[in-house]
Amino acid sequence: MKRHLTLAHPATALLIVGLAWLVLVPLLGVPPRYLPPLGRVAADAAAVWPELLASFLRTLAEAVLGFLAGAALGIACGMAFAGSRVLERSVLPFFVALQSVPVIAFGAVVVIWFGNSLLSKVVIALYLSFFPVAVSTLRGLQAVDGNRVALFRSFGATRTQIFWRLALPTALPSIFTGLKLAVSLSLIGAIVGEWFGDTVGLGVMLLQALYFEQVERIWVLIVVCGLLGTLLYGLLAVIERKYVWWRPA
Amino acid sequence: MVASRLNALLNACLPVLFAALVFGFAWEAAVAFGEVPQYVLPSPTGIIAAAVQRFPQLADGLWLTTFEALSGFAVGAAIGLALACLFLLMPPLEALLLPLVVALNTVPSIAFVPLALLWFGMGPASKIAIAALAVSFAVLLAALEGFTRTEDGQVNLLRSFGAGRLAILWRLRLPAAMPSIVTGLRIGLARSTIAVIVAEMLGAYKGIGQIVYRGTAEMDSLTVWAAILLSSAVSLALYGLLVQIDRRLVWWQ
Repeated sequence: MKRHLTLAHPATALLIVGLAWLVLVPLLGVPPRYLPPLGRVAADAAAVWPELLASFLRTLAEAVLGFLAGAALGIACGMAFAGSRVLERSVLPFFVALQSVPVIAFGAVVVIWFGNSLLSKVVIALYLSFFPVAVSTLRGLQAVDGNRVALFRSFGATRTQIFWRLALPTALPSIFTGLKLAVSLSLIGAIVGEWFGDTVGLGVMLLQALYFEQVERIWVLIVVCGLLGTLLYGLLAVIERKYVWWRPA
Repeated sequence: MVASRLNALLNACLPVLFAALVFGFAWEAAVAFGEVPQYVLPSPTGIIAAAVQRFPQLADGLWLTTFEALSGFAVGAAIGLALACLFLLMPPLEALLLPLVVALNTVPSIAFVPLALLWFGMGPASKIAIAALAVSFAVLLAALEGFTRTEDGQVNLLRSFGAGRLAILWRLRLPAAMPSIVTGLRIGLARSTIAVIVAEMLGAYKGIGQIVYRGTAEMDSLTVWAAILLSSAVSLALYGLLVQIDRRLVWWQ
């Protein structure tokens, strides 16, 4: 089991996949239409380096801003649901339902509202990342043991104290599960938002590569999107391991 | 018995219906009194009217999108489950392929959409492929996670009764992993509709994603909203179906 875990580590995985790509593609004679050799993909990446970097930073900014806003709003909403039974029973079903709905279609509407600005992508990313955080925050807060609340209260703890010392620590692991789901969704939101029209961004480059049928460029972008996704997810995982080291009881 | 179930259903539905009514009414009033232009936000009644009026055209796209999403879901779920079982039965294969899976899983599935369009063309095949990709990862990782839930003692017990590896997989590991697998399926279903719609936005002849994309380009917000409304209704129905299947499959929880 231990051996598999080290193999499953993203960095090791990337190395192995890269090596396999380097060796197997010329060896098996894979047609470049499906998977071009790694060298040609790297050369293409080097050729468009400045544009690639600008797009990477732009999409990163959109995804991160949208994620942060969505996470804040989602946690606030989850807390409101946990606090109010009426709100939970009337509005929460919508939240659960909306999670299964192809929310991405609303992206079009958001672009109509906010134009082709950075703001519209941030709003789409916010919108996508908002639901999982809200629902997981509520689930986490609901998992607080009633006996422990009673114990805290019997020692004279106030509501704020109970929240900070008991409810929040209990809910944090669950909140982080929602945050991890949300961070990949916010990246998708940022990329798709760029398809509705923009000039910089990984989504724009994907669209251009598709129109000109540049398979090497598409693979460059797939790798870069993967790196961006890993970076965001990894950052969150590091924060979680450092600050939320306890497990739910 | 029936009466009490009906009562419970009413109890769950009434607050939701009430909230929907309040929300819809506020929306309608805001649009009417705020004189919001239609391209910014159409009124709910306008959207419903548009959905009814354009129903044949929308239903045509919706039918194709649902077909693509469900096919992709079925293919992806089958691949994911099969791979998970293979990995379990053949650990060397897992060691070989798991890095690839982990690496591919970090890439947002929509980044593969241009590639799928180039490989499989503008027709339904490319959408099914993208949905299958998105679903298979969710199911594979969920199943692998679920397989670890079996306790060694249980495995040893079955083995001491002379059960083979396949029998242990079928009788013990699969049922034990079922709750986790069903969660994976649920995430996968939501992902498959999203993947199909996104792929259709980028290139397709028909489908709800294409209708939304064209509607946006032509600033035809009524069509966009009507398409969103209908596709949401369909995904909700699918989701409800899956929850029911979940109850049948994992009846012991």
